[in-house]
Amino acid sequence: MNTVLRHTARRIGTSLLVLFGVSVLIFAIARVIPGDPARVALGPNAKQEQVDQLRAAMFLDEPVVAQYGHFLSGLARGDLGVSLYTNRPVMTDIADFLPATLELVLVSGVMMIAIGLPLGILSARYRGRWPDHVIRVISLLGVSAPAFVWAVVLMLLFAFYLPLFPIAGRLHDSFDIPRVTGFLTIDTAIAGNWAAFGDAWRHLALPAFALALSGIGQAARLTRANMIETYEKPYIEMAQAYGWPEKRIANRYAFKPSLIPSLTIIGLDFAALLGNAFLVEAVFGWPGLSRYGVNVILRKDLNAIVGTVLIISAMFILVNIIVDILTVILNPRIRKADAR
Amino acid sequence: MTLVLNIRDLQLAFKSWSGTSEVLHGISLTIGKGERVALVGESGSGKSVTARIVLGLLQELRGVQISGSVEFQGQDLGAMPDRERRALRGTAMSMIFQDPTSSLNPVFKIAPQFQEVLARVTPGISMSATRVRATDLLREVAIAEPERVLDSYPFQLSGGMNQRVMIAMALANRPALLLADEPGTALDVTVQAQTLDLMRALVTDHGTSVLFISHNLGVVREFADRTYVIYRGNIVEEGPTRDVFENPGHPYTRALMAAQPKITGGGLPDLVEGDRHYLEPRFVHEGVA
Ligand SMILES: Nc1ncnc2c1ncn2[C@@H]1O[C@H](COP(=O)(O)OP(=O)(O)O)[C@@H](O)[C@H]1O
Ligand SMILES: [Mg+2]
Repeated sequence: MNTVLRHTARRIGTSLLVLFGVSVLIFAIARVIPGDPARVALGPNAKQEQVDQLRAAMFLDEPVVAQYGHFLSGLARGDLGVSLYTNRPVMTDIADFLPATLELVLVSGVMMIAIGLPLGILSARYRGRWPDHVIRVISLLGVSAPAFVWAVVLMLLFAFYLPLFPIAGRLHDSFDIPRVTGFLTIDTAIAGNWAAFGDAWRHLALPAFALALSGIGQAARLTRANMIETYEKPYIEMAQAYGWPEKRIANRYAFKPSLIPSLTIIGLDFAALLGNAFLVEAVFGWPGLSRYGVNVILRKDLNAIVGTVLIISAMFILVNIIVDILTVILNPRIRKADAR
Repeated sequence: MTLVLNIRDLQLAFKSWSGTSEVLHGISLTIGKGERVALVGESGSGKSVTARIVLGLLQELRGVQISGSVEFQGQDLGAMPDRERRALRGTAMSMIFQDPTSSLNPVFKIAPQFQEVLARVTPGISMSATRVRATDLLREVAIAEPERVLDSYPFQLSGGMNQRVMIAMALANRPALLLADEPGTALDVTVQAQTLDLMRALVTDHGTSVLFISHNLGVVREFADRTYVIYRGNIVEEGPTRDVFENPGHPYTRALMAAQPKITGGGLPDLVEGDRHYLEPRFVHEGVA
């Protein structure tokens, strides 16, 4: 375990460096985009003095390097500046919108793993027989269309024609749930309001599944391919020759060696959910960070853009760190080699 | 004499989209109780498939055509339901493979793999019971620190050590028949010789019958009571090992022996390919025309 801890510390260190690089990049790009943010914020009718005043307040009249200095010292205090779009601190906006996105992405990621991996295992175990054929068609469907197409299709099928699920939003208006974590599935449970709890999950189901579908397909296909390769290995033949139960061979002795090479890609798929969430949130009217992000980009709201991108990058990096640690935990070769 | 294994006129063909390829052309082979029998022949001659048929592994593949009969302890495997045939694996018969290190799962320690092996006769055996039993079994194969080995991954152990682990696993449930498919060929010569000595001592102790598959005549000579020579899916010669070596009757056996010192290098000397005499057996099975 000691190795895992050391590995984690090292990864967090390098990740902070990456995050620093990202912040410089985003900061620079946001300032290179043509158009005067102060002018955009105040509208075409504002007087030039007003615009100049705002520019001074935002340090836009100073050199870019100095601007970055202001940004960093703010960041150290947990201050990302004020959004010109909402007129609130960017931190407050992010704290408001991020939980909705996180809730969607996390549930979607759990679906991807909890459905995709078992499908892949079954497919490999029954290779060439009907369960394999059915699963391969499902996975192919999953990867063959982007998440927003599935969002529209699922919404039409299961919210419109067959009204099994709500069409949009996170919770029915009639519920008033005090905000604790911002995760409605948790807050409703804390409030002890089980009707609202069920309602929150019903709202979450379709967007999360639509978002997960291509990941499910990817994970199933990848797991199948890696497991079929593993099934050719002498140690699987040995397990079969010794009469170990087929189910145990599949779920344990063939699955674990196959998971290690899949892990990095599954991690990337997980991170990709964040990007795809932009469009799924738009389709389902999901009040998350993605919608906020699109709006602030369209309005050239500098502070908000930088803040949003920084948070999303941080989550990407976090997913990567987790995948890295899992790989070390799962792969004894790396773990033992590191220990030396 | 009661036969542990009795193979009669076994034929095997693989069917694929490109046609049928016949691999075994009716081989017959018997192993008595406690007997060590070798099956020798060059690579591709059909040794491994024979062992896999005995284990019932090949029968589960698609496009496999098998005829003839394989009796194990008097029971016809072909007439047995799949479930009963599988029940024999790892209990009444077991197998040792060519490369011990790649035959053990790389991402699990030895202990849980041993647990699966023992669970075949003691379903649901606990880890602590596994360790007690496995420690004894590993001592049997002259492993001095069984605890350390149980807590190791295969890649942390030497090839010879893994081979001892394999032998311990193969004999753990006291099988009646051990199939050894070129055991230790992947190891270096001295280690191979050591582990084979160990294996011979153990099977002699336990009265285990062995089908010993090899292309290495030197090793066969040391190990086997009786030897079958297989050439292109036909048994071409059979007899007590000493006789086969001292007085090889079939031209293929003679070629095999002439080639022995350089079998890993240059391979077999030129044979008169297509010579019909090559496929004519030098002996006749009792009861087989
Ligand atoms: N699953 C399979 N499908 C098709 N051909 C096979 C299969 N397994 C073995 N063979 C063929 O059967 C022949 C005998 O193989 P094998 O028994 O492995 O030889 P060896 O004597 O070296 O152990 C070879 O020509 C091989 O190509
Ligand atoms: Mg072979």
